[in-house]
Amino acid sequence: MADALLTAQGITVRFGGLLAVDAVGLEVRERELVGMIGPNGAGKTTLFHALSGVLKPNAGRLVVGGDDLTGRPAHLFATHGIARTFQTPRVFRTMTAEQNVRFGLAFAGRGRRHSHCAFDDAGSILGFLGLDEAARVPAAALTPAKQRLLEIGMALGARPRVLLLDEVAAGLTEAEVDAVSDLVRRVRDELGLAVVWIEHAVRALMNCVERIVVLHQGRKIADDLPQLVARDPAVIEAYLGEAAA
Amino acid sequence: MKPRHALLAVLVGLLAAAPWMLSDFMLSLVLTCLMYAGLTVTWAMFSGATNYLSLATAAFFGIGAYVTAWGFGALPYAVVVPLGGVASAVFAALIGAAVLHLRGAYFAVLTFGLGELVRHAITYFEKSYAHTVGRVIANPPESTSVYLTVLAIAAAAVWASVAVRRSRFGLALAGIGADEERAETLGVNTRRTKIAGFALSAFFAGALGAAMAVRWTYIEPNSVFNPFIGFQTVLIAMVGGAHTLIGPLVSSVVFSVLTEFLRLQFPYLFLTLLGLALILLVLYLPGGLASLWPILRARIAALGARLAALEGEGARG
Repeated sequence: MADALLTAQGITVRFGGLLAVDAVGLEVRERELVGMIGPNGAGKTTLFHALSGVLKPNAGRLVVGGDDLTGRPAHLFATHGIARTFQTPRVFRTMTAEQNVRFGLAFAGRGRRHSHCAFDDAGSILGFLGLDEAARVPAAALTPAKQRLLEIGMALGARPRVLLLDEVAAGLTEAEVDAVSDLVRRVRDELGLAVVWIEHAVRALMNCVERIVVLHQGRKIADDLPQLVARDPAVIEAYLGEAAA
Repeated sequence: MKPRHALLAVLVGLLAAAPWMLSDFMLSLVLTCLMYAGLTVTWAMFSGATNYLSLATAAFFGIGAYVTAWGFGALPYAVVVPLGGVASAVFAALIGAAVLHLRGAYFAVLTFGLGELVRHAITYFEKSYAHTVGRVIANPPESTSVYLTVLAIAAAAVWASVAVRRSRFGLALAGIGADEERAETLGVNTRRTKIAGFALSAFFAGALGAAMAVRWTYIEPNSVFNPFIGFQTVLIAMVGGAHTLIGPLVSSVVFSVLTEFLRLQFPYLFLTLLGLALILLVLYLPGGLASLWPILRARIAALGARLAALEGEGARG
């Protein structure tokens, strides 16, 4: 098996008295397609913050591309090949779509080796996402769905090896969700990235990914093939418990 | 050479010839314009781009002035001026490392307090150890060489702002202004970028303070650490449009001339009138004077089209 691109051990994040993430371990290997689910407040986004260096965990260890980056600033995570999106799209609103993508290329993506021509420049990344026509449009003028795509484009500009997607399909129609699902697959199949994808649309996610991680109340309660996770009593309990509440 | 560069070179050339062409009064007015142009353009280079509202200009300016107060005489003018800039830049880098994680009002208030802190520290130091309140500058340089020095700093400030805007460093500053955390996750070392930007803008404020200090012959903390220099810099930049380069430039000329005119014409009312003008500008032109330009350009284009249409009709008739 290939070496892990990202290894997290015992990641713990506390907000005051609240234990948001409780000793979670996770390993992401090359070209893996991992889904992450869990009820609201399970700690998924907080875990992403820790994995991308945005938030320093209270305990645990993070190794990215062979280097221990525990407690280091987020820009190092980016230059070590971790790119992410945010739940609410955080594009640079006054810049054009092309400038948004070029930003990542100018910093984390600068000089990073890449094997696919889709990573060549801002134009080819926008082309990969089907956003060619939006290139000269200011990001603020794009539809929310396109802003989400553009955020993926910004992350791809960083020429990452692992892409962390935080609910990129939230609020989209079913057809749009399927399109995003296809895109995530293409990111892995064509660009060769590993992807970790948080999504509430469980059906679409199950069909897309090869491995599912389930978080519940800050703890990891399952990490297995989708069909096995779907039958896991602890997972069913967590979801039914939420539905009953 | 591009036409824009040629225009700039001609402008600087004309300004350099000013001491031999203008009256003393006019020259001093131009000098004030240049000082504020240098201060606001470099303030906007950092604060306009990053949205970190700094009121520390007075502190940087005063530190530069005190480098002159302490060093001039022992060292030539041409040495104390850059030294003043370096002293302010080092100070800004040290302070920046400590406080640049604060944002918004906290950062603004803190940088304002910084000026007061340095002022009181120097007052205390001078009283306790040097047993003096202020310093006299003996044998100040000629006003022409002061003018030319300030012109050179202002020109360098404009050049630096243009260069930063076009560089990767400038892009990083703009990214920090747009969304700092996002910029960081895309690989920008935001901490280092902010400290470098803060120090660079402090360098120019310090050099200007060091250059201008010789004009006052008597230097004391209360006059060189004047918080109004900090406020005025921010105001001028905002009135001009802090995100642009040309806005603060035009605005420092307008502001300096307006201040002088109002002060002479209405010695008792001038601050009131100035305040009124500022309120009106902020209310009706929140994007600053620079936002007038696209509007004007659209009007001119529309006018041109109408003239062309009229001409066409005339030719047919």
